[in-house]
Amino acid sequence: METRSQIRARFFVRIWTAFVLVAIYLPILCGALAGLTKGRYFAFPVKMFSGEWWGKTLESFEIQTLVQNSLLIAFIVTLVSVFLAFFGALAFARYDWKGRRLYQKAILLPVFFPQPVLGLALLLWFNALGINPSWQTAVVAHLVWIVPVVTLVIAIQVYSFDPTLEEAARDLGASRWFILREVTLPILWPGIWSGALFAFLLSWGNFPLSLYTAGVDSTIPKWLYSKMVAGYTPMVPALGTMSTLSAAALLLTGGLIGILVRRRREQA
Amino acid sequence: MAVALDTSAAPPAKTAETMSISPGLRSASPVLILLGLGFLAPLITVAAYAFAAPKSFDVFRSFTLENFAAIFDPQNTVWTSFVWSLIFAFLTVVLLAVIAYPIAYGMNRMFGKWAGFVSVLFVFPLFVSENVRLYGWVLFFIKNGVLDGALKWLGFAGGPEVLYTPGAILFGMLYVYLPFMLFPMSLGIAMIPRDLVDAARDLGASRLMIWREVELPLAMPGILIGMLLTFVLGAGAVAESKILGGQSIITIAQDIEVAFTYAQNWPLGSALALILVAIVSGLALYVLSKLDLDRILGRR
Amino acid sequence: MTLATAAAIEATPVPEGAGHVATKPVLQLVGVKKVFGEFAAVDGINVDFKEGEFVSIVGPSGSGKTTLLRMLAGMESPSEGYITLRGNLINDVPADQRPTCLVFQSLALFPHKTVGENIEFPLKVRKMPPAERKERALELMRMVRLPESYYGKNVMRCSGGEKQRVALARAFAYDPDVLFFDEPLSALDYKLKKALEKELKDLHRESGKTFVYITHSLEEAMVMSDRVGVMSRGRIAQIGTPEEIYTKPVNRFVAEFFGEVNSFEVTERVGGWTTADGTVLTVSGVPDGVSGKATVIVRPETMRFVPAGSSADNTISGVIYNEYSLGSRMQYQVHAGERIFLVEASRTASGGLSAGDAVTIGWDAADAIVVGD
Repeated sequence: METRSQIRARFFVRIWTAFVLVAIYLPILCGALAGLTKGRYFAFPVKMFSGEWWGKTLESFEIQTLVQNSLLIAFIVTLVSVFLAFFGALAFARYDWKGRRLYQKAILLPVFFPQPVLGLALLLWFNALGINPSWQTAVVAHLVWIVPVVTLVIAIQVYSFDPTLEEAARDLGASRWFILREVTLPILWPGIWSGALFAFLLSWGNFPLSLYTAGVDSTIPKWLYSKMVAGYTPMVPALGTMSTLSAAALLLTGGLIGILVRRRREQA
Repeated sequence: MAVALDTSAAPPAKTAETMSISPGLRSASPVLILLGLGFLAPLITVAAYAFAAPKSFDVFRSFTLENFAAIFDPQNTVWTSFVWSLIFAFLTVVLLAVIAYPIAYGMNRMFGKWAGFVSVLFVFPLFVSENVRLYGWVLFFIKNGVLDGALKWLGFAGGPEVLYTPGAILFGMLYVYLPFMLFPMSLGIAMIPRDLVDAARDLGASRLMIWREVELPLAMPGILIGMLLTFVLGAGAVAESKILGGQSIITIAQDIEVAFTYAQNWPLGSALALILVAIVSGLALYVLSKLDLDRILGRR
Repeated sequence: MTLATAAAIEATPVPEGAGHVATKPVLQLVGVKKVFGEFAAVDGINVDFKEGEFVSIVGPSGSGKTTLLRMLAGMESPSEGYITLRGNLINDVPADQRPTCLVFQSLALFPHKTVGENIEFPLKVRKMPPAERKERALELMRMVRLPESYYGKNVMRCSGGEKQRVALARAFAYDPDVLFFDEPLSALDYKLKKALEKELKDLHRESGKTFVYITHSLEEAMVMSDRVGVMSRGRIAQIGTPEEIYTKPVNRFVAEFFGEVNSFEVTERVGGWTTADGTVLTVSGVPDGVSGKATVIVRPETMRFVPAGSSADNTISGVIYNEYSLGSRMQYQVHAGERIFLVEASRTASGGLSAGDAVTIGWDAADAIVVGD
């Protein structure tokens, strides 16, 4: 039953949400505008658009290296973190074991931790171990933060998993590996898939950890930052927009694949 | 059949079980090893450095409290950075709670089939590097930028000078940390059973009373997590002040960074980091100890 | 249509019920409909609920009983028709402004509040001072037979039966004109359920309030109610005392809602009411207006074994296929050609019978029910 005040409240909530969403996407749009402006300096209203900075950015050898670094790190982080987080999530939500409560809280700590400080702490640790920071150490740093996040994402799916299914499968004579492949993985698949998307995208966009732990190797966010503080070049908004668009494209494709697979399963 | 198999297999299986570790611990161990080597060990290193001789790299070989003495020395102004960071973190928490609550409520109760789409729109910025997004605001607020240019074009005098002020830093923090308040809060509101709200209304409670007596207390675990997350992230914020704030104030994370990089005083940086970590993790552990994560995430 | 005319429309006439029930309707439904898109969940309901009456609405899931209840409690508005409370139209009065109260299926107890705080909630809404609130809460706890020591207890630590009592006490604290129940006993085990059914009826008697109880279990409804309404596809198929519903069901749906029955589809021929295989049944008590086609229903408990030497109006020979123990009574599945019959008998009356025995079963015309469809 709808009262007038409820209708008014809904109107207010909708307007407010729309306003906040506009504010969230406004700077991303500003970046896109600046990257497409012709000329060295940005001024609004834009007098003439051109793709020259996009072209220059795409041609730049330096930037190609950055993209390769960022992709490589994100791929490895995704693979490793999904593997670790899958078992981590089972321990989080599926099994009842003695240290579980403590473990659940311990796993949240890296998420609840200022990333710049975590990056610097890792830098110190690598130094103490005598390891030179490079893209490999950046992978480790990303994992420390992303594995807990992915664990939480998968754990939410695990909570809705009925453990008696595994018991039933065992009762029907299935081996541990067979149960994992035929029962557990297919049911947890949506959580794993979204966990993988999270892992890739969070690694792709991460700045504070890469800044301190990637050493001489640069990633896209790290390079953008160094150019931002050094002075304006339209390549910064151009590359920033490209990076944002690729993340959006990945999220969209990932989401669509998820929906298509689910639909096919439901129809089958 | 199954019963027969079970009984015959039970004795050896049982001994094997007690000999080996539980399946829970076994599944948790890879993550625990990662956290041990990638989180705990670095923190121990920081702690060790914090007690090393200033401006040295003599970790584990010297023990001194000089770094802490330097920080707590009234001559030193580093404490202002702590104060700024904590004040800004606190303001971020309060303002974000107010900003995010209507949206979180709407995502659970009002948007219907659009709720999923709206939450994707709010998640997506998490995947864009925060410096890129903050830089967009620079382009918006800067002289001849989007705001200034648009106002001039409309015949006004031009935009206000907000860039490179403490206000801009706070704005940036609100902007970057919104999702970290929104999603835990939304999870918390999702935990309120619909029946309870209906029942409260049926018993005559007004909208305000339902909110105060039923919705808010039941959503509190989620809201607390959101507040904790944003406070911790806000206390460690650095990019906002560097990009939007023009260093009009220095945050504690920036002090730590300077000590590690330009000043090459790792022990001092470590001592600062240790104090920040103590504040942050003390708060985090306190709040987390009050919460039942199974209920929040599992929605049971 | 104005309120006056709405109230003037006569709802389904109700046969005189139990003695202590007053005749003044407290709650009246006239042509109430609720349509979701194309689907009419509630499709035209007329009922009067009298002051102090205990009425149950039973129906299978999907019959519209929950939608009906939500409209009564003020959580949905009817698409058509009128709901009046003491003569006032309340169609669009929201739940918080109706002097009615719903006991939810889930009970909807506030998990973050104690037993006492839960019960006091409606009193707090009315800004009653704390001391007075506590006094009233303790009084209500006595009424629902909860020990006083439970006042400060965490409500989630209470057992299923205790939670029921807390929910009841909270509803009574609101002091509503009408109490609605959305099968609150459905999650309990059998024994506790039986005990609470009786307690609820006692409570109804003591409080003198009007109770409207929704359930899918006719058994539950029969134990407690003054009147029972059977719902089917958004309509009330029949409403009356439990006795009437049991002995004079108006159609096959109501008759079968009680459980398994033996039914015979018959047509009116020259020789009498004839089954599809040509047997002519001895039938009595055909309701007015039924002609041509009808269904004869014989409940398993009125079907009996007819030993050699005794007789019944209608008899069938068959073979016992299986037997089921119902506790004090036995039920037998008897096969006669293609047809399967159920016969219930006390253990002594059927002594010695077992699967494979050839038997004659039968019933007297007066024990069968004849319905039009």
